[in-house]
Amino acid sequence: MLLAMSIYWDLPVLLVVVSFVYAATRHDRWDKIVHEAIGWGLRIAVFLSGIGLGLYLLSTYL
Amino acid sequence: MASTPSSDPPLPPVKLDPLAALLSYLIPGLGQVYQGRVGKGLLFFTGLYLLFFYGMWMGQWKNVWMPDATDLPDVAIAGQNLGGAAKSLAYRWQFLGQFWIGVAAWPAVYQYAVFDKTQDAGPIFGKFQRMPEEKELNELQRNGNKRWDLGWVYTVIAGVLNLLVIYDALAGPMFRDPPAVHPSPEPSHTIAGENLLPLGAADSPETPPMAGSPAPLPPLLPPSSPAPGGS
Repeated sequence: MLLAMSIYWDLPVLLVVVSFVYAATRHDRWDKIVHEAIGWGLRIAVFLSGIGLGLYLLSTYL
Repeated sequence: MASTPSSDPPLPPVKLDPLAALLSYLIPGLGQVYQGRVGKGLLFFTGLYLLFFYGMWMGQWKNVWMPDATDLPDVAIAGQNLGGAAKSLAYRWQFLGQFWIGVAAWPAVYQYAVFDKTQDAGPIFGKFQRMPEEKELNELQRNGNKRWDLGWVYTVIAGVLNLLVIYDALAGPMFRDPPAVHPSPEPSHTIAGENLLPLGAADSPETPPMAGSPAPLPPLLPPSSPAPGGS
């Protein structure tokens, strides 16, 4: 089962830190930092989820 | 922004701050704190150290080191054999990214400089950021669930992200925002004495006089005077 593999539970740390640090290097105002961090967090989450789902499907049905 | 692009005052030219950049290299966010941007500095410090040490913890504290490459085969780049630290980094390129986290990775440099293969541990730091034995590395990679590998990826990402933080300390953020505009307590009908009402609205009798508009003309006749021609 995908969710039972503990390696995936380490990813939120990476996602949150990368989103906020990267956004904070692009803006000085907190409202823009938070707004951009949320955007990057969503994009990274969708990207990683897509890859994870693709690998899961490949390993299950091929 | 699009309505009044020319109303914003021009931003001052970027002034580079090498000292703040150096401080942010040493400890992530320290340069921003030195510049007075304390909140951002604490965000960088907390985030990057969390990522770096979390990655080290995932790798059982054995994924940040510079290898002793004296007994390893030569490495040549463009026909030139590498030696010393360059050869070591050729065998452990991950440290090129990890290095930029600052002093948190300096024990690895120290351990490399004083490495003695006849000893089990180095001076001062013991086994911390010291090159693991080959047998130990093989067990970590064979018996782990890939967390050891993911761990060094986290440490490399933390180091590379600190390059952006160093640049932020050196030259400011990527986008230089004008300061936030706080709304004034009065309704902003006028700006510098200009009436911003729609055309024709100022002629309406219901429209109250605006601040800065000319005073109304006095009536031609006083209200108490009789109308001309009246009885």
